[in-house]
Amino acid sequence: MPFRPTDLSRRGFLSAGAAASALAATSQWSPAFAQEPEVLNYLSWPGNADPYLVSEFEKENNCKIMIKEYVGGDQMLAVLNQSPPGSFDMVMADAEYMHLLKDADYLEELDPADYPLNDFFPEFQKFPLHWFDDKLYGVMTDFGYLGLSYNTDLYQPEEVASYDVMWSDKAKGKVGFLDWYLPSMGCVSLSAGNTPPFDLSEDGFEAMKDKLFSLRDQASGFYTIADIFSSLRNGQAHMIPGIGEWITLGLRMDGAPVDTVLPEEGGLQWTESLSILKGTKKRDLARKFIQYTTSPRGQVLQATKVDNKKSIPSVAGWKLLNDTMPKEAEILRMQFDQPNVMEEYKKGRIHYRQLPSLQPIEDWNDIWSDFKSA
Amino acid sequence: MTIPLTPTSARQPQQRGRLQSMTGKTIKAAIGPLVLGLPLALWQICFFVLPLGFLGVVTFWQVRNYRLQPAFVLDNWERMLGSNAFQRAFVHTFSVAAIATVLALVLAWPAAQTIALRLSPRARDRWIAFLILPIFSSYILKVYAWQVILSPQGIINSLLTAAGVSSLNLLGGALSLQIGYMTLTLPAVTLILTFALLGLDRDIIDAARNLGCKGPTLITSVLIPAIRPGIIFAGSTAFLLAFGDYGSPVFLTGSNPPTLSILIVDTIKSGSQWPRASVIGVTMLALPAVGFLIVTMVKWLLKRTRA
Repeated sequence: MPFRPTDLSRRGFLSAGAAASALAATSQWSPAFAQEPEVLNYLSWPGNADPYLVSEFEKENNCKIMIKEYVGGDQMLAVLNQSPPGSFDMVMADAEYMHLLKDADYLEELDPADYPLNDFFPEFQKFPLHWFDDKLYGVMTDFGYLGLSYNTDLYQPEEVASYDVMWSDKAKGKVGFLDWYLPSMGCVSLSAGNTPPFDLSEDGFEAMKDKLFSLRDQASGFYTIADIFSSLRNGQAHMIPGIGEWITLGLRMDGAPVDTVLPEEGGLQWTESLSILKGTKKRDLARKFIQYTTSPRGQVLQATKVDNKKSIPSVAGWKLLNDTMPKEAEILRMQFDQPNVMEEYKKGRIHYRQLPSLQPIEDWNDIWSDFKSA
Repeated sequence: MTIPLTPTSARQPQQRGRLQSMTGKTIKAAIGPLVLGLPLALWQICFFVLPLGFLGVVTFWQVRNYRLQPAFVLDNWERMLGSNAFQRAFVHTFSVAAIATVLALVLAWPAAQTIALRLSPRARDRWIAFLILPIFSSYILKVYAWQVILSPQGIINSLLTAAGVSSLNLLGGALSLQIGYMTLTLPAVTLILTFALLGLDRDIIDAARNLGCKGPTLITSVLIPAIRPGIIFAGSTAFLLAFGDYGSPVFLTGSNPPTLSILIVDTIKSGSQWPRASVIGVTMLALPAVGFLIVTMVKWLLKRTRA
């Protein structure tokens, strides 16, 4: 067959690419400027070294923030595990990964007196997932809720008061999912009446699994973050569990008919915090950065960042936001005299997004893969 | 070596002289292709054989604390090949790629036959240029464009709604997936078939026509058998492109259900499982090889039984 060689070389390119990436994964990542004194190496979700957030700090302290971006806690742990100690000075992590970071001995103990924790809402002053043995390892910077996001042209708020709507005939083939097992299965677990949603007995786990699989025919697709936006906007998905205002607020401001509710079964809370990593030689600068981020000014910047609106834990931050940007405070539901984002929290319907405690993460992941291909 | 057309008797003295210098000439004749082929061989060794070997080796490694560690465990193979997700993704990917292959061949054939056998040389060149053009534009961009066109509030549905027809669910499903696959495969398949038909000796077609063969019979009894290698090449190109594609299943079906290439990404995303992802990769690479082996064996068996 005369054409075979050409044919094989195409596969060759593919396999070469795959192997090269595998090789890259085994080699150790080393930041270009890791050891320069004026550079602060920052491991974080994308967008957190946006000039809007950090340029004031950089100017004040005559330094440069070098970000290494990750998407998802697994990737963060992979990057840390593959880098020599001292590659990064600080990390922004989701609360559910804090105990993994602590167990792997990556985190420096922090002195609570260094940070304006007293400025925070009482609920967040001693946020349980950031403290180990009564010692502080991460300072909360922002948070948000995950519930059920839906198309407001097609559904009335009372229709989406319960996660049950996902199983309705009206929603058949129109329930989108964020392609991440944790929030998606967390909401299904809540709808099955499990609180807290991630501490499931074997029976509870089996029941949640059955409930999840009964949703299979309702699914429109499993989306990456970028596709979540387009699927809600173009009508491919009419509702998506496990996401929140960090997606729908931006869309709504662009004119898309979407909103997020916290159904009666409850919602999840994601929480981000800043920690100093062991092995850093720039402890002081890192501490200053955390102080800056949790200061009223830094908090307002976090809340009003263009690409990703966040709720902030600092009361002082709320005050400054209401004084200087009242319009934003209203949109972000961070007004003191109006129904605000702290209310749901006080109603006790918010559960922390946590890693499964009684099953290996792998089991949850496998079920998610199984569900998608079912 | 060209075949001398002179009668045997006249050739004999010359042949003897030739025999004497044969070894020197053979070496010289062999060096040329060797030198010319060397860059490609080196390239293939560096960027195909070695990585492929590495990919195979990695399937036996393990991941500890998100770190890849050399080992020799069969766990990755057992887990992947035994998992429902993998088996279902394999069957799904294989069947949609097979459908895409048949669709591409059927859709490309009339165009290829028209371009190769009906058009004037000038028009033919123009159409071939038109077919090459899409290869220069980004495939992912085209897939995104299809998303805009097919989505519930997209172009087609806007037109339908304006015309008073209820909107159709076009995005997410077999139809949108095959539209994506055709975007990827049709230009290449049409080009291959066109060139295969262009290489055909026109006398064969004329002879067939003179003997009263026309229409569908001409295609099935003359054209298809005559360019069979071209068809097999076009088909395997379509199959491999669709089988390994990531863009269309992700953006046009929302990974619903996932294909093997999506499963590779998922496997790495959840826990940096490079070894298990490599198992999928090796299996995907082995498939064409196994297919080729089966075809060769069947051919050999057929030849034997005939003999």
